[in-house]
Amino acid sequence: MNKLFPFFDLEGHLQMVVVVIFSILIFSSVMFAFWRKLKPGDLIDEMIVRLRSWWVICLIFIYAALSGPLATCIGLCILSFLALRELYTHMRLRRSDRIALLVCYLCIPFQYYFAYMGWYNLFMSFLPVFMFITVPFFLVLSGDTKDIVRSMGIMPSSLMLGIFGISHMAMLVCHPEMNEDPAVGKGLLLFLIFLTQINDVMQFTFGKIFGKHKILPTVSPNKTWEGFIGGLAGTSVVGYYMGFLTPLEEWWHLVLLSFSVALFGFIGDAIVSAIKRDFGVKDMGDAIPGHGGYLDRIDSLTTSASPFFHIVYLMLLV
Amino acid sequence: MRKLLLIFIHSILWRTFLRRIIGVKFVNRHILKSYDQFIIIANHNSHLDSMAIMSSMPMQIVHKVHPIAAEDFFGDKSTKEFMMKNFINAVLIPRKKPEKPGDPDPLQIMSDLMNKGESIILFPEGTRGEPGVMQKFKAGIALMVQRYPDIPVIPVYLDGLHKSMPKGINLMLPSNSKLYIGDAISFRSLEKDVILEDALDAILSAHQE
Repeated sequence: MNKLFPFFDLEGHLQMVVVVIFSILIFSSVMFAFWRKLKPGDLIDEMIVRLRSWWVICLIFIYAALSGPLATCIGLCILSFLALRELYTHMRLRRSDRIALLVCYLCIPFQYYFAYMGWYNLFMSFLPVFMFITVPFFLVLSGDTKDIVRSMGIMPSSLMLGIFGISHMAMLVCHPEMNEDPAVGKGLLLFLIFLTQINDVMQFTFGKIFGKHKILPTVSPNKTWEGFIGGLAGTSVVGYYMGFLTPLEEWWHLVLLSFSVALFGFIGDAIVSAIKRDFGVKDMGDAIPGHGGYLDRIDSLTTSASPFFHIVYLMLLV
Repeated sequence: MRKLLLIFIHSILWRTFLRRIIGVKFVNRHILKSYDQFIIIANHNSHLDSMAIMSSMPMQIVHKVHPIAAEDFFGDKSTKEFMMKNFINAVLIPRKKPEKPGDPDPLQIMSDLMNKGESIILFPEGTRGEPGVMQKFKAGIALMVQRYPDIPVIPVYLDGLHKSMPKGINLMLPSNSKLYIGDAISFRSLEKDVILEDALDAILSAHQE
């Protein structure tokens, strides 16, 4: 029983966060149900679709994050695959890129295997060192040099976006030194995911209420300076109070960490927006009702996870 | 036995593989459940096309559905022919009308299937074309509709499957794609040109649903 539902084994502080998350979900569900009774309309229907997806996302994420390193690695491995598949669906690759594309897909299980085994060095160097050389070499082997520079650029970059960043979440719960007490990694992972989503919500809310000055008018017209700064400040404050999830003791460590999650999350959001604009699509897919594709949901995590891991690493272990 | 094998291959193995790994999304699959016998017409860009349509079939009738393939292209080697017949349930036809008596007649082969109560999958373009460009339809579909006006003709639009397996490349890779199933076509009349025009429109508008 406890093996299947590890929830009951969890340390008190993790259990509390899970309870908080589900309270938020239940509270919003009840609110929305009343809202629909009182004022039916398209907006509330759309919000309910979104909320339903949030339920599924939270259930899967919490289960994968808290039930042990193996489940986390497998779950994130599937997520990477789905994100990468979405990316390659829209990329205008050449016919001769297909062998290299196969190599890119095959990188996924290897990267997560290294993460699961806790082989830190190999995990860190596999994609940015070895695959950064190997993938272009496979492109060269195809013998077609027309537009090869473009493929050489986008294919290794897609590995960074789709696999490397996300796999750092797996490394958080698998790193041997960091996880001498297994609650540390789980707490950090929950902290990262929670803060990244809080940042999205904060940016959205501050932007809606105070937003006047556009920050990236040609890329994403919805993003404003007010939202960006509000997100940074709000996330830092929330992060400070959520500090019990992490083993960090200095208050400025926590604020710095939360600040960097907000900053890099914003960057990831902007990068994915720019990519979508180039592809000429509104969403990367329609896999998650109300949210778009997988990559639309995890856009901030793709860039916030790896800086988060390394900052924590520096603060804890150096 | 062959029925069980086909159900296992298409409804379980291929459907799971195509959906989960390759990323094919079947849209409006429920439409097929209301018919026992039908003619499916679809656009053709990839070798995956007939596999994808076969795996979208309801489990009870999958053994009674036959993709129609050109004999000269697929039937050249005996192993390939065996595979096509037993694993894909395909029926091979010659591309041309019979020139001398005794040659197999493609229309007669299809009519025999229809008389037996089986369903067929036709690619009226005749061959795999460029993605996004519809080629002129061959007359075969019109002749079949004229012979069997009561059998529903269901249009299927395949979107993006060529990215998983482009023409001329035998490496299948994941890439999101969609298979749209449209409502049965009601033809305005049974003239050949009208049928072809309606069929083309129906395939294109299945895409919009």
